[in-house]
Order: sequence, then C-alpha cells, then structure tokens
Amino acid sequence: MKRLIAIVEDEPAIRDNYAAAFTREGYLVRTYGNRAQAMAAFAARLPDLAVIDISLEDEPEGGFELCRQLRALSAELPIIFLTARDSELDAVSGLRLGADDFLTKDLSLAHLIARVNALFRRLDALRKAPDDQEQKVHRGPLTLDAERMRAEWNGKMVLLSLTEFWIVHALARHPGHVKNRQQLMDAANVVLDDNTITSHVKRIRRKFQSIDQAFDALQTVYGMGYRWVE
Amino acid sequence: MSLRLKLLLLGLATLVLPWDGIRYAREMEAALRQSEQHELQAVSETMAASLQGRMDLLYRNPGDPAPADTGPDDLTPLVLTAPPYIDGYPDDWPRDASAWRYYGAGAHRFGILTGVDDRMLYVLLEVHDPHLVFDAAGASPLDSSALGDRVWIGYEDPQGVQEQVFLALTGPGPIIARRIETGEYGEETTVEDPRIIGALQPNHAGYDVEVAMPLSMVGRQFGVLLDDRDRRGADPVSYGTLRSSDLHTLGRLIVAAPLLTPYLAQFMQPGMRLSVTTPGGGSVLAQADELAVPGVLAPEPGILTQVYRRFVDRRGEPRFLTSAAPIYDGHHAVIGELQVTQAANRWEGLRDRALTRMLDVTLITSAIAVIVTFIFAAHLAVRLSRLRRASESALTREGLVTQFPETAAPDELGDVARSFSRLMGRLNEYTGYLRSLAGKLAHEIRTPLTIVRSSLENLESEEVSPAARQYLERARQGSERLNAILVAMGAATRVEEAIGNADRLRFDLTPVIASAVSAYRVAFPERRFAAELAPEPIEIEGAPDLIVQLLDKLIDNAVDFSPAGATITVRLLREPAAAVLEVDNPGPPLAPEARGRLFESLWQSRSGSDSRPHFGLGLYIVRLIAEYHRGGVAAADLPGGNGARFGVRLPLADAPLLPNYNDKVKLESV
Repeated sequence: MKRLIAIVEDEPAIRDNYAAAFTREGYLVRTYGNRAQAMAAFAARLPDLAVIDISLEDEPEGGFELCRQLRALSAELPIIFLTARDSELDAVSGLRLGADDFLTKDLSLAHLIARVNALFRRLDALRKAPDDQEQKVHRGPLTLDAERMRAEWNGKMVLLSLTEFWIVHALARHPGHVKNRQQLMDAANVVLDDNTITSHVKRIRRKFQSIDQAFDALQTVYGMGYRWVE
Repeated sequence: MSLRLKLLLLGLATLVLPWDGIRYAREMEAALRQSEQHELQAVSETMAASLQGRMDLLYRNPGDPAPADTGPDDLTPLVLTAPPYIDGYPDDWPRDASAWRYYGAGAHRFGILTGVDDRMLYVLLEVHDPHLVFDAAGASPLDSSALGDRVWIGYEDPQGVQEQVFLALTGPGPIIARRIETGEYGEETTVEDPRIIGALQPNHAGYDVEVAMPLSMVGRQFGVLLDDRDRRGADPVSYGTLRSSDLHTLGRLIVAAPLLTPYLAQFMQPGMRLSVTTPGGGSVLAQADELAVPGVLAPEPGILTQVYRRFVDRRGEPRFLTSAAPIYDGHHAVIGELQVTQAANRWEGLRDRALTRMLDVTLITSAIAVIVTFIFAAHLAVRLSRLRRASESALTREGLVTQFPETAAPDELGDVARSFSRLMGRLNEYTGYLRSLAGKLAHEIRTPLTIVRSSLENLESEEVSPAARQYLERARQGSERLNAILVAMGAATRVEEAIGNADRLRFDLTPVIASAVSAYRVAFPERRFAAELAPEPIEIEGAPDLIVQLLDKLIDNAVDFSPAGATITVRLLREPAAAVLEVDNPGPPLAPEARGRLFESLWQSRSGSDSRPHFGLGLYIVRLIAEYHRGGVAAADLPGGNGARFGVRLPLADAPLLPNYNDKVKLESV
C-alpha cells in the first residue's frame, strides 16, 4: 500500500513541485493550501507523514498551530517543517511542538526525499523487533540505533530530531576525529548555515545534559568543527 | 571667540553704570561747589551788613579818621595767635611778608613788624646795620659821648599826651626801656619803665630787637625811631615814624576793637575762617580761624571711599573757597572788609556718602550682571556642547538614537534639539530600513528561488534532450549562486539573532584563537599565518562561537586584500583591562574614503569582481560581535602603507565595565 504524504504549503508552484517529486518516488500525495483545508482533510483521514510550511497564507505561524492540532490527533505521525525562514527561534518552536525535523527550503528535492525515506525507515524499525546489532553504535555510555534512529545515554533514551541524530551519529562513529560543518551537513543530508549547525549542536548538548549533568562528550574545536570524545 | 567670552563682554558692558555714576558725581560736586560759593557770598555780605557802621566794634579808637586814608607811617599790627617770646630771636613771629614795613635807605634801614595778642603790643625790628654800636659799659644813658645805637618808641597815651621811651642797646640779651624825666630844676634823669620789656640779638647783617608793651599804654598814635651811629658818641642818623626833631609821633596804630574777635567767633563754624581787614584787604584786624577743624560733613575715611575719590577728584581744584564783602559806615564809605574762607572739602563728606552709596549699588549691580551673564553663558555653552556631543555621537553610532538631550527645554535651543531629534529619528528609521533590507530581501527572494530550484530538480527527472540538459545544468548553477548570495545577504541578520540567543560564559581566549588559526592554515593554503599569542591566559566573558565568527570575518577580509603567498599575522595581547586581537595583512592601505565607515553595515570598498558575493557585512558583523562583548573595533594602515591592521579590543572578564567602550578603542599607532 502506498504511503500518504500531506503537503501543506501556500505557494502553489512549490506545492506542485514537491507533490510531483514525491509522486515520482511512489508516494501518494495530498496537497493543501491552508490550515482549514488541511485540518478538514486530516479529520477524515490521517496521512502517514506531513510536510508543513510555517507561514500559511494570512497566518504567519499557521504551521505551528497546525502541528499542534495534528499532534493532538496522532502522537506518532512524523511531521517535517519546511520554511523559508531559518531563524533559530522558528526551529526551537517547531521542535518543541513535536516536529520530527525542521528543514529549510534550500534543501534539494533529493535530500528532502531522502529525509522522508529515513523517517519512514525509523517508523518501520520501531514496529519491528530490535535485533540487528550491525546498525548499532556503542561508545561508552552512548548507544545509537541507526535503524530506529534512537539514541540512548546510560540506557536512557535521548529524544533527538532526525538532523540531530545524524550529527551525533557522524561524530560518534569516529571518536576523536574532528568533523567540520560541511561534513556534518552531508551526514545529516541537510544544507544549513554555520549558525544553524551551532544551534543544533547546542541543542544536542542540552538534551544529553538534561539526562546527565556531567555530559561533555561533544566538544567544539574552534575554527574547525566538532568531535566526539569518549 | 567662544559664546562664554562674548556674553562675558556683554556683561562687562554694564560697567558703564558706575562710570556714568562717577560722571554724575563730578557734575553734582561742581554744582554743589557753585552753590556753596553763592552761599558763602551771601554769608559774607550778611555778616558785613551786621558790622555796618559799627566803627566802635571794628577799631580800638573809634574816632579814627576814615581808615581808607592809612598813611605810610600808620602801623597795623598783626593779629597774633600766640605771643612771641621776647628774646631777640624773630623765629616765633608769623612769616607774613606783606605785614612788614620798611624805613630808612641804603645801609641804614630797618623793617618793622607789629602784632597784638591778648592786649599786648609786640614790635619786631629787623635792623640792617653793618656797625652795631653798644653804649659804653657802665656809662649813664644820658652821657652823649658814651652813646651807641638807640631805639626810640613814641606814642600818644590814651589821654592824648605824647610820651617817649628809649631802649639803649647795651649788649645781646634783655634791654631796658627808660623814659627821660625833667626834674624841677631842669635836670634830666632816666626812669626805667618796667611795663616795657625788650631784647636784642645780633644777626649776620645787623641785629633784631623785640619789644613788648601793654596795649593799654598806647592811645591813637605810635611810632618807632632808630638812632644809628657808626661809632660811639657820633652824630646819629635817625629814621623811623617819629619826627626826629621832637620825637612826635607821625603815624597811627590801627588796632581792632577788643570785642571784634569775640564778635566774629560767634559766627564760627568748623572748617571756616572769618577775618576783618582794613579796606582793600590790606591788613588783618581780627580773625577767627577754625579752618583746620574738620566739619561734621568732613570727608569720610574708608578705603572704598578713597578709591572712589581717586576717580572723582579732579586735579587743580582749589582747596578753599573765599568770599569777601566790604563793610560800610553809615555813609557808604568803606571802613573795612570781611573775608570768609571755607575749606572746600567741608561738604565732601556729603558727596562721599552719596557717591559711595551710588557706586556701591552700581558696582554690585554690574557684578551681579556679569556673574549672572557668565553663569547663563556657561549654562548655555554646556547645553550646546551636550547637544553637539549628542549629534556627533548620533551620527557616528549607527541607529539607536533614542534619547536626545534638551528636547524638553521650552526655548529655542529646545526647538533645535527637537528638530535634531526628529531628524535623527528619521535617519534612524532609514538606517534601520537599510539594515533590515538585506535580510528582508533574502527572505522574499527565497520563495521564488525555491520554485525555480524545485522545478529544475523535477525537470532533471524528465526526459530532455542533451542540449536541453546543458541549459538545465547552467540554470541549476545560476540558482546555486543566487542561493549563495541569499545566504550572504542574510548573514548579519542571523548573527544578530545568534547574539540575541547567545549564552555568556567565561573562557580563555588564547586556545580558541590558537585552534582557529590552525584551522585557517588548512582552509587557506595559499596564505601563511603567523600567530603571536600572549603566553598567559586571557579570560573574557562572552561566546567563543561568536569570537571565532568574528575572527573568521577578519581573516576573510585579510585574505581578500592580501596577495597569494602573503603572511597574515594574528596577534593576541593582554592589556591591564582588555584583550586586544589584531589581524595584520600585507596589501593595499585602507581607502581614504573608507576610514570611519569600514565597520558600518552595507559598506564596502572592494572594487572589481569576485566569485563570492560581498555585501559589506563582514566587518559590520565583527563590530556587532565586539559590541556584544562590550568591546570596540578599529582599523589602521601598517607602517609604510603596505598593508592594513584590523583590531578588536575586548574588556577582560574581571575588568570594570566601561560605558561607551567603543569610544575608547584606538589602535596603537603602528
């Protein structure tokens, strides 16, 4: 059965381009131009994944509101924010509302599709029995499960977004090696500017520190990048 | 000339008040003096009128013929203030040359001075005689062969009888007056008259004789005769005011009545002199003199008064006022003259008091005016300079001109400040618009760019001819470049947001800079990097990420402006209160028009094309980050003009916060 992707985007040209790309990949696509249309359709049938623009027609933050309503309908539905605005504030708000990822429209279609595929993979992995050790990375107290996109620290689950997961994954796979920002962006399949990478790293640290106060494994190498220290 | 000085001069103009006051005082004084002169004339005429016809009050001998006819032999004694001591020395007589009378001629002459005091008559003879001949010692005064020089005094007694006495010159010192009496049988004897005393002293040209006798002895007439002999017993040369044949008096003794002086005294006032003289002012009959006594309105002492007087007084003004009026008898014949003399400074006290008060008031007024003007000027200057500073800093600092001074002032300066404030506000809005333009533009362009890019990507999945694919590739490259431009345009906005969200923490600057520099060696292989870092830790408070971004921008700038193979020097110094981070690059010096504007938003002095987009935001970001760390930025040429130095000064974590740190930043002269 084909998976259903809902695209909520007020710009028809972008909406149709995205729809065409996902259709070509074999997904079923429904597109909506505003929040009211989308909610009406979601009430009838929930999609398998939603791609939502933050500003919707005359609602500058209509995407956040839609995300909240959608999360109320389903706790597990993967939600990806897409926006022209890349300020950190938007990202923080979107992720706090329970979005699974936050991408700017700079992202190429190929990358976007890769991210959507990855999200579905995680969904599938969560539903399967966990046994594949190959996909797992153990670094001291850290355990990363690439199949399910799950991260654990001292056995406790750390809720990372997709981008954050790939950043941690790229660093922890080769502890001590410095990864520059470009390498991290490639690993996470995103195009982000320096400041967005920095704020992602900060958020990752904060998430680990909320579990372990003494967390200090993710270090900044000024002018070069970041590294994972065991 | 500063405003303060100008207004001070304006205040000094009020000094015309005291100057005018002095002029007024002078005029007042002249008027006062004139009126005083008139008053004095009136006084003298009134007093003269009171003496009209009072011959008895004027003259001791009321029967005197009209005194206007005083002859050459008449003697008018001086009114003496103190009796001379009868010792033959004339030094205790008043020095009044006009009172002298002279008799005789050539080698034989004498001067005579007469005076009265307290009912005594005094006579001083100054005899010019080369041969002083004394009587023979022990001889009878009547022995003609023993006679020397001799002084005769003849007078009419109150009963009108002629009397004569002689003073034989017997030697220096007292001489005795004698009269010759004829006895019953015609024999002559000499009798001493003890009422008359005399004394003699020789001097360089002759001798002086002093004689004193009671005025009561003398009636209307009086005379002196000198018998001058060249040797003892010779025939004398006689001259004087007695007839030499019978020693009868030739002239009168004109003396004031005893009551005249008390009569004058009743009119006396301090600082005044009253005198009655013979007609024409010839000789003083009587006078009452209190000129030297200070009056009630005498000049006031006091330093201020003296200073004022120095300005007011004119040189050459008479010190005394004099007025004279004739005294008539009943028939319009002048019998005497009354002179009133008054000290000119009698009313000076009055003037001084008025003058002092007026000058005090005007000087205080002037002083207050000057002080008030000066304070006002200083206040104005302070306000103006505050306004000037505000407008200057408003122009150099970008945006954020919220408070402009003096805008609440209700005066013209307030108007200026308000219009300045409005102007700055508009400028501020405009600058703010310009600054946000790049970010807004980037955001607005992103949506259509996304349409283009997603369409191109979809097109790549379609079947297109090889030629079309070539165009497709070019369109894709163009859109990538457009995207890079957008990222660059939004850079400042993103840094501002990052600053807003940054967490301050205390960290050591040295390792951060060191690791960044080693990263640049990798990133820019065609440049060499020299790091001159202070060995000791330099702790500041802030965000290390932002500091690295700041250094990134400085290095970007240094790389852009330096030739390939050049050495870029990164220097980190520790100052007492600040960390100084400098980046030197060889290359062209700073463009002159760029000075002072380098760190502004949207300013760039790059010329020519470059593969990377530039919006003049790099150094602006440096400034934003430096200011976030309460620091400042500066740029200068390297010595010789073959390069540039960009520096950032950041206060140390322990340094006290300096307000307006940006103003304090200066690069050491390089």
